[in-house]
Amino acid sequence: MSTGGSHRWVVLSPLSLFLLAVLSVLPLWVQDEYLLQLLISSLLLGSQAMAFDFTAGFINVINFGFSAFVGAGAYTSALLVLHWGISPWLGPLGGAVASAALGFFSGVLTLRLQGIYAAVMTWFVGLTLLSLTASLSGLTRGYRGLNVPLFLETAARRPYFYIIFGVTFLTFVSLRWTGSSRVGLAFRAIGQNLESARASGVNPTKYRVINFTLSCAFAGLLGGFYAHFLGILTPDVMHSRQTVEVLALAYIGGRGSLWGGLVAAFIFVPLFEYLKPLMELRLVIYGVLLILVMIWCPGGLAAIYTQLKQQVRWPFMQR
Amino acid sequence: MILELQGISKRFGGLVALKDISLNLDEGQILGLIGPNGAGKTTLLNVISGSLRPDNGYIRYQGKEISKLSSDRRCQKGISRTFQISRPFSKMTVLENVMVAAIFGDRSQKQEPPRDRALSALRFVQFSIDENTLAENLNTVQLKRLDLARALASNPSLLLLDEIAAGLTPLELADLVGVIRHTRERGVTIIVVEHLMRMILRLCDKIVVLHYGEKIAEGTPEEICQDKRVADAYLGENYLL
Ligand SMILES: Nc1ncnc2c1ncn2[C@@H]1O[C@H](COP(=O)(O)OP(=O)(O)O)[C@@H](O)[C@H]1O
Ligand SMILES: [Mg+2]
Repeated sequence: MSTGGSHRWVVLSPLSLFLLAVLSVLPLWVQDEYLLQLLISSLLLGSQAMAFDFTAGFINVINFGFSAFVGAGAYTSALLVLHWGISPWLGPLGGAVASAALGFFSGVLTLRLQGIYAAVMTWFVGLTLLSLTASLSGLTRGYRGLNVPLFLETAARRPYFYIIFGVTFLTFVSLRWTGSSRVGLAFRAIGQNLESARASGVNPTKYRVINFTLSCAFAGLLGGFYAHFLGILTPDVMHSRQTVEVLALAYIGGRGSLWGGLVAAFIFVPLFEYLKPLMELRLVIYGVLLILVMIWCPGGLAAIYTQLKQQVRWPFMQR
Repeated sequence: MILELQGISKRFGGLVALKDISLNLDEGQILGLIGPNGAGKTTLLNVISGSLRPDNGYIRYQGKEISKLSSDRRCQKGISRTFQISRPFSKMTVLENVMVAAIFGDRSQKQEPPRDRALSALRFVQFSIDENTLAENLNTVQLKRLDLARALASNPSLLLLDEIAAGLTPLELADLVGVIRHTRERGVTIIVVEHLMRMILRLCDKIVVLHYGEKIAEGTPEEICQDKRVADAYLGENYLL
């Protein structure tokens, strides 16, 4: 499946392995539940940003309904656990399957369209999912909120950190691996130049649908984990406000990098938490940041990192 | 006959870009497609490669009607093309650019891995830059060469070249003519769009002249040189002969 030389087989660079290792031992020092909660939130949003970037940064289609797919996974998982007695550990898989199916069908419907039309259609799909969830209150309890069984009995944050860390890791490695495979090459070709991709034999609709379905599957999986971590769901999880936040993180992180969104989450989620008075202005600030990134540094944090890498030779990096 | 166009027309709004074009192309031939700017040469290549649908007419390739096939299907069936204005995958390396076509454009059962086929396409076009360079760092001439390698990597039977000689030095031009001849020796049929008459006359078995979307002449290089309508159409154009 690998596209390039042997280095492609190594999905994770030494630096990302190092950072992940640091992250994984962090809770051994961090005792504060509140800090742990922040780390978990960063992981949750960061992994969503990666799944979002898998579509935006690769095939160049912006899924404005992204959070609705996260929410669909969350509700599916919760309802499976509540009504069918499935273990919360399996629920998210059901959520992934449900969101993937939704993604597949909306992909088939929308992804024949060109960029902006496809984006507008994903937005409509998101709105539809949101209002469905809100109005099917017999099932979802609508805005009164749905109580969801938790993964664990304990209220301690540290076990949850490791659960979410595991899912984030899985998301990162899977997306990264797919992105550097042959299929990933088709994704990037479509995203970078549709006409040339076609002229090279790539069927755009097919690979867009594959990409969109995969991204939605991960959205659903993450939604499921979100549900059994948080313990309560309201249709607000599907709101486009959530999508905008995920989009901002992915773009600030650097489109097409995957990891950029995760790094951005670890910067901005805690930052906003400490700037509580600014919480209300969060979307405005994200908007301003987005504009700044687009003007000054379209490649986001990932591009800054690449530039640094060319100037500085890290001791633990080859070449 | 590898390619047969019958009554192809294409309008853009009120503009008639192609008007009732018919032409036949035998396997292994090199066809030169010439005409002043705006004559409809690129449009005709777009119609053959499938990026544009003609308003009328049919296209038969290797004996089969292909008008309804998308451009990616046509590429897989062996029609590949270069672009007059290069459209690289800019954030990919040179090698990756070519590998896209080697993987997705070539459906023949090959033992050789796509990476090797991509590398040999690069070698074939005498691409001299490191294959790990990002395409966004290449200049126009290098991009055209890359585009040619990409088009060849899908292992075409019919190759459409849209002004790939633009901006080349005489030495590079001689190299390119060599590459095109070599490609034909491998059994590839080629349509060359080019303004350089010297190159066209040296290279082509047959020449078709377009003028405001109409085919005004067709023949061997000698016939075209003596054709009065061609001389009239090119009146004032100083690149003829
Ligand atoms: N996509 C398009 N939309 C509108 N007009 C076009 C389009 N493509 C080409 N044309 C017009 O069709 C005519 C033929 O263009 P083209 O095939 O590019 O000519 P050539 O390649 O011979 O220079 C020109 O007048 C051009 O402006
Ligand atoms: Mg042209």
